[in-house]
Amino acid sequence: MATRTATCACGRLRVICEGEPSRVSVCHCHACQRRTGSVFGVAARYPADKVSIEGESTEHVRIGDEGNEIRFRFYPHCGSTVCWQMPAYADGIAVAVGAFADPGYTPHPARSIYNASRRHAWVDITAPVERRG
Amino acid sequence: MTRVASCHCGKLRAICEGEPVRVSVCHCLECQKRTGSVFGVSARFPKEKVRAEGPARRYTRIADSGFKVTFDFCPSCGTTIHWHLDQFPDVTAVAVGCFADRDFPSPKHSVNERRKHAWVNIAAPVEHKD
Repeated sequence: MATRTATCACGRLRVICEGEPSRVSVCHCHACQRRTGSVFGVAARYPADKVSIEGESTEHVRIGDEGNEIRFRFYPHCGSTVCWQMPAYADGIAVAVGAFADPGYTPHPARSIYNASRRHAWVDITAPVERRG
Repeated sequence: MTRVASCHCGKLRAICEGEPVRVSVCHCLECQKRTGSVFGVSARFPKEKVRAEGPARRYTRIADSGFKVTFDFCPSCGTTIHWHLDQFPDVTAVAVGCFADRDFPSPKHSVNERRKHAWVNIAAPVEHKD
């Protein structure tokens, strides 16, 4: 079974993930744009018991569009958010796909959220995704 | 024109006057880790056209070029909203996503494409570089 490690920019916050993610998705919402500074976020969801977190982290809580608390963890000395938890996926952890620093990461995203309303027109998601909103 | 970039929680802002001098996408592994997305997008503005407001913490790393890059991020939410490149001391690079504006000028350069994830393409008429 594959073990993959996601890290912050400076490498001191590490999220070790066993096995395959249950879902990989892209989100173009404004909060993901601001959080990443890129024009979308990419999340891989893993069951919580398949994830171990090593290193110091600071929590940032944001209230999502549906009123739920999303709890993001970032490394306090470089700023990278590596993972987060949300009530909609209470038994799992979402990991920032870029934090794996692996251009060959699979599976590719299966969903693209806020695709019509928030996506920058020059971003072309070519994976066979379900497009929403 | 004035545009405001802000972090995830809104406490750190960069107020930018006028138009960016360069907008580019970077697929390097450092940009992937910094953003958690699969590329970074930056808009360079003349340094004197960018004014930061709010508390910031700094992170410095050495770029592939050998020059220092110093990132300013919000200590409350972690978002890096802008950075300074020793190689290009006259500009401030601002994270395009922090404008949360899909009408922001599109990129003209896409660099480190050898690190690009296969499922995403840059559809703007960009200069592509490995």
